[in-house]
Amino acid sequence: MVLADLGKRITGAVSGLVRSDVVDDKALDNMLKEICAALLEADVNVKLVQSLRKSIKHTVSASPPGPQRKRLIQSSVFNELVALVDPQTDNLFKPKKGRSNIIMFVGLQGSGKTTTCTKLARWYQARGFKSCLVCADTFRAGAFDQLKQNATKAKIPYYGSYTETDPVRVSKEGVDKFRKEKFEIIIVDTSGRHRQEEELFREMVQIHEAVKPDQTIMVLDSSIGQAAEAQSRAFKESANFGAIVLTKTDGSAQGGGAISAVAATKTPIVFLGTGEHLLDLEKFDPKRFVARLLGMGDVQGLVEH
Amino acid sequence: AFAYFRNIVGGKVLTKVDLEKPMAAMLDHLLRKNVAREAAIQVCETVEKSLVGQKTGNFQSIENTVKAAIEASLLKILTPTTSLDLLREIQNKKSQSRPYVISIVGVNGVGKSTNLSKICFFLLQNKFKVLIAACDTFRSGAVEQLRVHARNLKELSEREGGVVELYEKGYGKDAANIARDAVNHAEGEGFDVVLIDTAGRRHNDQRLMSSLEKFAKFAMPDKILMVGEALVGTDSVLQARNFNSAFGAGRSLDGFIISKCDTVGDMIGTLISMVFATGIPVLFLGTGQNYQDLRTLNTTWAVKLLMS
Ligand SMILES: Nc1nc2c(ncn2[C@@H]2O[C@H](COP(=O)(O)OP(=O)(O)OP(=O)(O)O)[C@@H](O)[C@H]2O)c(=O)[nH]1
Ligand SMILES: Nc1nc2c(ncn2[C@@H]2O[C@H](COP(=O)(O)OP(=O)(O)OP(=O)(O)O)[C@@H](O)[C@H]2O)c(=O)[nH]1
Ligand SMILES: [Mg+2]
Ligand SMILES: [Mg+2]
Repeated sequence: MVLADLGKRITGAVSGLVRSDVVDDKALDNMLKEICAALLEADVNVKLVQSLRKSIKHTVSASPPGPQRKRLIQSSVFNELVALVDPQTDNLFKPKKGRSNIIMFVGLQGSGKTTTCTKLARWYQARGFKSCLVCADTFRAGAFDQLKQNATKAKIPYYGSYTETDPVRVSKEGVDKFRKEKFEIIIVDTSGRHRQEEELFREMVQIHEAVKPDQTIMVLDSSIGQAAEAQSRAFKESANFGAIVLTKTDGSAQGGGAISAVAATKTPIVFLGTGEHLLDLEKFDPKRFVARLLGMGDVQGLVEH
Repeated sequence: AFAYFRNIVGGKVLTKVDLEKPMAAMLDHLLRKNVAREAAIQVCETVEKSLVGQKTGNFQSIENTVKAAIEASLLKILTPTTSLDLLREIQNKKSQSRPYVISIVGVNGVGKSTNLSKICFFLLQNKFKVLIAACDTFRSGAVEQLRVHARNLKELSEREGGVVELYEKGYGKDAANIARDAVNHAEGEGFDVVLIDTAGRRHNDQRLMSSLEKFAKFAMPDKILMVGEALVGTDSVLQARNFNSAFGAGRSLDGFIISKCDTVGDMIGTLISMVFATGIPVLFLGTGQNYQDLRTLNTTWAVKLLMS
């Protein structure tokens, strides 16, 4: 479960501190140490952990030891955590009925794009949108078959080609076709790629230009470690994605790497992938997520400040 | 990362206090390289213990002493204790009628099927007759993916007399049964090697993990290789441990393939984490999406990257 252990440990560290009578600098340091260890074990970016530590310490040190300080510790830990998973964007894309909304998927190899594409198409389908899928992965062996089989199971129309090798052309053809047929959600799946391969990034930009997506989604595997930041920054620069889907949250990874990507790109997580099956998709709500993370009771106390 | 401890040079008996800052810097350095915290702490603690009470060499700073000790420790972790000459092992088995069986396991999307195809390419170049067994009967497109690879590899190696075929039974069937049948088929047809692809599974999924025991019993692989991706963080430790213990008493993993090394730059800490967690050696590195992108591990190179 994403950040499950982290939540327990942070709650433990904070409440341990809050229960003790004096909150001197040593006690504060100990608590920060515990929190940072938990964050690092959860794969949160090393630099990010350091700045988080500084920022909490800065806020708290300014106040004298005493009951005041305890509340400050609670609220600053809470705020830093919320900031970590919630970049506070108001202009989140919402598809509109009666027009074609194009959604393009991008991400590293094997992160879960193709699987999530179909999950999302079904999600919108179930909410009354006429949805379809376009396979613009002409590189990976069996990519079109994978999408086709998933789409067939989900009863979603799809487009792709076994012979065309240019993903820009396939994506354009598919999107044009479905646009004409008045589909409302058109999801474009692309090949996995990484920042070290310029050619692949250029291709992504070309597909982007060809299909002009209303929303670009980066799919991130929740087990990713320290490479998350550099990779997601590079994707942000080239594809300017506006949302993140965190996949494989049914695994035991804590997801801190992926959450560092949120911080690095100031882009919100919108969905969680929770399994290999079609229905394993959950909406992500940062406030509720942090609330659950720290245990509701504590959060109530933390929020009033 | 090493800027801390430049000052003191030569002939000093090291105390725990001297080492505190340099070790903290070292831990931080390893974490940045994507070494799992558990592994990084263990490496640092062991090194610290070995250094306390030691005298630094003439003109040797604490910095260099610590660096050298960490370097040695990483090298030791990565250096295999047994021979990893796969080709020779296969060659040795050629006189027997049963083919050499390799199965590939790992969590979802790490690169099992792709790296299986790369190994196949490598074996074909070495003139072995290879049967690929499509035992991922779950994930959409898994069979077709291997069909494409088998076709490509056939084309690539046909001129040099390479023989590769795909054994497939479609979707939904029991992987262990198909694996056993594939090995029998290969034995009958005189194949040298069977490469078995399996479905990706979460290492914390009891049900899927426990089916691996039956799989090993039925397929009786000579080598069970786990693919772990270089991208993965702390979870690498648990992934390696859980897969290593999934095959029942008396059977463990034989090696790792660390894939997607081309995607992480110098952050190749997963190598350390997975070997640290299990003591199982790294057999191959995956360094790209093409058939040639498979390397054996050069430990000196790896340690150099980790220390850079
Ligand atoms: N357990 C679990 N597995 C998932 C989830 N999402 C995807 N997967 C699995 O992850 C593997 C890779 O998924 P794909 O959808 O093929 O990934 P991709 O990003 O399209 O891969 P490429 O196109 O090769 O870059 C498959 O085995 C999926 O079944 C999830 O939320 N949980
Ligand atoms: N950059 C890079 N990509 C790789 C490497 N190995 C595999 N891939 C890519 O990773 C993605 C997933 O590879 P697969 O071989 O399908 O992974 P898998 O483990 O079989 O996936 P499932 O069967 O769905 O669990 C594909 O896009 C591959 O091209 C590698 O060494 N480097
Ligand atoms: Mg895909
Ligand atoms: Mg596979």
